[in-house]
Amino acid sequence: MARLRYADAITSALREEMLADDRVFIAGEEVGQYLGTLGVTSGFLKEFGPMRVVDTPISEVGILGLGIGSAMAGLRPVCEMMRMDFAMVAYDQVINHAAKIRYMFGGQFKVPMVIRGPSGVGRQLSAQHSQSLEVLFAHVPGLKVVVPATPADMKGLLKTAMRDENPVIVMEALRLYFEKPDVLDAILPGLSEVPDDPDFTVPFGQANVLRTGTDVTLIGYSTMTIQCLKAANILAQEGISAEVIDLRTLLPLDMATPIASIKKTHRAVVVQEQWGLYGCAAEISAQIAERAFHDLDAPVQRVTGAFVPMPYARNLENISFPSEHDIVIAAKRTLGR
Amino acid sequence: MAKKPTLDLTKYVRFYEQMVYIREFEELIGKEWNNAAAHGMGGYMHLYSGEEAIAVGLIGGMDLTAGDCFIGHYRDHGYALAAGSDPGEVMAEICGKSTGCSKGKGGSMHICDAARGFYGGYGIVGGNVPIALGLGWAIKYRNQKNVCACFFGDGSMNQGAFHETLNMAQLYKVPVIFALENNGYAMGTSIERSHANQNLRSRVDSFAMRSVTINGQDIFEVHEQMAQIIQEMKDDPHPVFVEFKTYRYHGHGAADTPVTQSTYRTRDEVARAKEEKDPIKFAQAKLVEAGVLTNEMIADIQARAYASAEAAMKFSDDSPYPDPSELIKDVYA
Repeated sequence: MARLRYADAITSALREEMLADDRVFIAGEEVGQYLGTLGVTSGFLKEFGPMRVVDTPISEVGILGLGIGSAMAGLRPVCEMMRMDFAMVAYDQVINHAAKIRYMFGGQFKVPMVIRGPSGVGRQLSAQHSQSLEVLFAHVPGLKVVVPATPADMKGLLKTAMRDENPVIVMEALRLYFEKPDVLDAILPGLSEVPDDPDFTVPFGQANVLRTGTDVTLIGYSTMTIQCLKAANILAQEGISAEVIDLRTLLPLDMATPIASIKKTHRAVVVQEQWGLYGCAAEISAQIAERAFHDLDAPVQRVTGAFVPMPYARNLENISFPSEHDIVIAAKRTLGR
Repeated sequence: MAKKPTLDLTKYVRFYEQMVYIREFEELIGKEWNNAAAHGMGGYMHLYSGEEAIAVGLIGGMDLTAGDCFIGHYRDHGYALAAGSDPGEVMAEICGKSTGCSKGKGGSMHICDAARGFYGGYGIVGGNVPIALGLGWAIKYRNQKNVCACFFGDGSMNQGAFHETLNMAQLYKVPVIFALENNGYAMGTSIERSHANQNLRSRVDSFAMRSVTINGQDIFEVHEQMAQIIQEMKDDPHPVFVEFKTYRYHGHGAADTPVTQSTYRTRDEVARAKEEKDPIKFAQAKLVEAGVLTNEMIADIQARAYASAEAAMKFSDDSPYPDPSELIKDVYA
């Protein structure tokens, strides 16, 4: 086991897959000569050369077209969005093209590509660099959407994404990129550990029970999984046993694991960083209502981001997305406390 | 136009035949549109009549069995037929039948033929252009001696996707032919009403890309020039922008009736184009003059082309609609 930061897990996955499969190449802004905006591809240009580490203009449509066409022709592109917010510039290529090509041509083509980049709240990056837009992808048939929370899942899910035969959107949690292993392990022992095995992968569509409990089920993904773990620690001090479930992928979505947990705890809190209205937590809550209504002792609680563009001021930013304390309050509400 | 003595006229008789086949195929669809529902046709229907020499001459210059490929837009029936796709499967797709090339899931706008390097027709104007960059990139990545052709219309040139793509294509020297089919109208909006600079070819000068203008109604000019350009691209990979000047006989799509067409072009303009710029008449006259095409052959080709289109329609009519179980298949690989 290695103890890694989230960003190191990205580097490790990319490098291992590039070494294992010469069809894999990375294209994006500043991925090569600049060593990566956040350093995850540092040294890659020197190691793999300019055909496999492709510095692009600031042209997201072009980057994704490069990926889609070369994937159809049999390569394995990894298209980096410097920020997933920037994928909105090329939303047409993702939604109208990558997601549709398999179906509208009756299965004659496949598009095995990865679109990845940092997502969600960072630190004072404000309205256009802080969004969690996963629901805009998870709504669309033909795509897969990956939302890792831990370094091990980041590595294992990214490797699975790079081996998948379909377009996979990998939303990386910017807030977690450089979190030190010591900090992660203090939240949950072993949280920073990543298996050394180069064949270690994490399958899609399997949620993970990160912490077992009996009183309430906390369901999260990406940064919010870490917030749920912090909340569970606080709840434990107050004698409340919380089970924490990390969804890991939104499309495909594993509801069997959360439902099994709710049959035990009879209470659920669903946490997401994005805006609540029409969000992922709404979908998950609806599925719980459809499949486990009679197992519930209290209404499902949603904890979501404030319905505002992300503000710049640090104090406003800090209250714009769910804190562990917001989750604690919601969990207690399900317990009538 | 290249020097006449060097022309392989047998090849041009074949091209002539292909153009007639495409014309008859499209005209049969146009005729049967009155009875569309009975055949399974619906939605939009973009016919290629008038523009045949571009698909036939350009695709005819590529080696599809050796890795050359192409990608198109929604006016795409002619590309498949020019590539040698089975007319029955193309017609069945247009009619939403299970035997269609896309299993009836794509329809008229999404014809494709993976085995012949046809990466499909796309319905978002300009949206197929960035994908051509990737197809060209794959050729370069594998050091193949191949080219990719990307067909699009004058409307695509006003999409941002077009400009991002051409910049990157030139930057990376990918072997992509950006084939502009300039028929003068983006749906009902003329070039004069949509391009600040109406010299469309000059718009790509800013990318320092090689470019050429070709009379898209002249199969000889289309093919001779493209065959030479393709060879040069294979020897030294680079992109080329080609402006084909052409004209579309039918409305933009089936919904663009003579009444709606009257908002942007006159009947006289269409009639004059058919009389003066028809690619089939042009080729026919040249080939007859050269002594390789006789009136008897013309009548025979015409009859066989019509019979082929009718047979394609019959194949489609005899084919079942997709089974309901197909609804949820092919979403993921």
